[in-house]
Amino acid sequence: MRRFYRALTLLLLLLVFAALTPWQWYPRDWRVWYAGNFGAGSYLQQAATIPAVPGDNTEEACPPDIKGWRKSQTIAGVDVSASSNCLADNPHAVAAFVKGTNNVGHMTLMKSRLSPDAVVKGRDLDGDGDPDEIHIRLEVFELNGGSPDLNVPVTQYAIAPGVMPGLWVFAPKSAGMSTENFESLLAQPGLRLPSPAIRVEQGDKVIVTLENTHYMPHTIHFHGVDHPFQTASGEGNDGVPVISEKPVMPGRQRSYEMQPRQAGTMFYHCHVEVQAHVLMGLNGMFVIEENRPNNWVQTFNIGDGYVRHSSVAVKEKYDREYDLHYQDLDKELGAKIQQTNDPRLITQQIHREYDISQADFEYYTLNGRSFPYTAKDSLIVTAPGEKLKLRVLNGGSEGVAIHTHGHKVTISHYDGVEHPEPARITRDVVWIASAQRVDLELSTVDDGLHSYGEGVWLIHDHQERGVTTNGFGPGGNVSAIVYERFLQDDGWPMTFGMAWQNFLTPGFYQRQEDGSGATTLLPGVEASGPSNLRLLALAVIAGLFVGFIASWVMKGRSNV
Amino acid sequence: MFRARFHRLLLLVALLIALPSYGASDHQHHHMPGMVMDATGMVMGGNSDRLPEDCKAISAEYEFTVLAGTAYAEPYAASTFGFDRHEWRVEPCSRITINFSNEDDVRHQWMLHGLPKYLYDRGMFHMEASGGFSQTGTFIVPSDNKTYLVHCDIAQHMEKGMKAQLIVGSGSGDLWSIPGVSADFQRGAVVLDGEKKYWLLFSVLMTAILCFMTIKKFPGD
Repeated sequence: MRRFYRALTLLLLLLVFAALTPWQWYPRDWRVWYAGNFGAGSYLQQAATIPAVPGDNTEEACPPDIKGWRKSQTIAGVDVSASSNCLADNPHAVAAFVKGTNNVGHMTLMKSRLSPDAVVKGRDLDGDGDPDEIHIRLEVFELNGGSPDLNVPVTQYAIAPGVMPGLWVFAPKSAGMSTENFESLLAQPGLRLPSPAIRVEQGDKVIVTLENTHYMPHTIHFHGVDHPFQTASGEGNDGVPVISEKPVMPGRQRSYEMQPRQAGTMFYHCHVEVQAHVLMGLNGMFVIEENRPNNWVQTFNIGDGYVRHSSVAVKEKYDREYDLHYQDLDKELGAKIQQTNDPRLITQQIHREYDISQADFEYYTLNGRSFPYTAKDSLIVTAPGEKLKLRVLNGGSEGVAIHTHGHKVTISHYDGVEHPEPARITRDVVWIASAQRVDLELSTVDDGLHSYGEGVWLIHDHQERGVTTNGFGPGGNVSAIVYERFLQDDGWPMTFGMAWQNFLTPGFYQRQEDGSGATTLLPGVEASGPSNLRLLALAVIAGLFVGFIASWVMKGRSNV
Repeated sequence: MFRARFHRLLLLVALLIALPSYGASDHQHHHMPGMVMDATGMVMGGNSDRLPEDCKAISAEYEFTVLAGTAYAEPYAASTFGFDRHEWRVEPCSRITINFSNEDDVRHQWMLHGLPKYLYDRGMFHMEASGGFSQTGTFIVPSDNKTYLVHCDIAQHMEKGMKAQLIVGSGSGDLWSIPGVSADFQRGAVVLDGEKKYWLLFSVLMTAILCFMTIKKFPGD
């Protein structure tokens, strides 16, 4: 009888323990079995419409535009057009890029966070009302790098919620801190992926000075841009360490000279250990605009995307202009700068041990972000009956197959060279190999060919891995062509399908077990872990249970 | 070396041409107290006469020359950038002048944090020198014994060696990862939020105690 009571006590303890244990602590197979035999507790919504991690973790889709950066404005005499996207480029920086940082006032310069010699615009050599001597200074920044003291990345830049791969980027020479402020770990808005699009005018005398603020050697190679092999003083000018010149060491600088005779969409990138450095983010678009009178071009387009001050030649033909920079990233390569703080080990790992032939690519970005962050600043906003110019660069290591929903685009230029009009191809998937550029003409005339009408139409890489983040979708380089009627006031697109809160949580892209929504269909998953008291109760029961068993076993032994 | 000097000369010439146009286009140059900015760099939060509330008078005067650049990383194996010194000691309520000289061809900063915010914007004294240039700035420290962080806030410059400390009086202990002074902070392997950690420890302890008590209570019953 005593044995019966003892067994009953143990069973009771076991049942209470089981009842107190949160559902998500049980193996998934047990839960599936349970749901199969006894059914789920009650009707549950479709997985994807339930916020992945409810409550505080959901990020704000579109922060309010407190500084008034989105509206159309005139700064230092430069007309900066309104930006429809929710995160607009800093208009003060845009004005400084157009006028030159040497020609704007102190306040504009302070608000632009640029160095006074970031973009120096000099004399008008051909007398057509715009400057033709352009001196650009670029620095190199590490984003999401390691720290000897913190176990989170520093100078943070997230490409998607909670996704912060190690990155290296070129950026116009800035002034002051690299972070938003001293208390913040976030990179200031001028420092981001991709390395920014650079614009000069055909025939400009351009000097690009690379100031190597990074701890690794770097160079710049101007791919497709008309430049001499050597500078006037006989120094290497092609940016190739094995052929033309020594790389620029940390703390040093070098100037490249060019006077491009041909217009077009070109490319620039670091040429040191290209298999790793380009893949880390050291590549950007280089646009040479056609020569026109009074043509003040916007020397940098930070983060690419919408051009807020298009050139005269582009405005002649098009209503809006967008720079689209596609790039894939290797998660393991990016992680190498986060795992150690010793530059010797980082160099060893990236320059000697990294094997791109064994690599795969986890992150697919458009203008430095993956879905849903692409909706913050890389939507292609338009209206019916317009003509848009899309300059597209594939800075990645794999090809991209750009597909436009609801539209067929016409390819006007290949690698910056104009294609004869009668031979132009209009299609809805455009293949772009690594380093290639195409200029696309997007017509929004609703004729059933160029456009099927207004809406929120996706634009994405149709190689399916391109629409994933770490192999998990929706993510990757998905963005959209959005007609103004379908854009909310804050710049976020109207959506009619699944709620996006799911995708705006870091848990979603970490494949949190219940974040995907898959297991929320199983019974009773709780939002958070057990409360502290419940944890204590579980511990007490476990203690009693083990104690009972142990005393039983010991008693058995003492009888022997 | 010749190249670097030549570049500096070029920059200087460019500055001489460019500078008058700043003056002409803008008259708000010194809109913030203690702020000077041009293409040679900037000084923000300079203060040579306003005493902190807790100081009756300037207790001492210091003048340090700080050299910055990749050359000063050499003594420390795992760094790329550095200052010629990574620690300075001063008296409370003293006035400190820093002559900051950048020997690289890229910009560097000497930025001090934690000063009283009623005297210094965001509690900072901040100097930035363009490649090959020097800046001079002065500030006054309050009376408390405290160790102040000094660093260069260009991405990765602090992490890769440009981290130092200013010790006022007896200071408040060394900061982590100062070259030649202190080791890197040991990163924890397990990350639990604070409260949960104690509850978990407490629960494990309770389990053990109860287990032991139950065994004691029913010995061979």
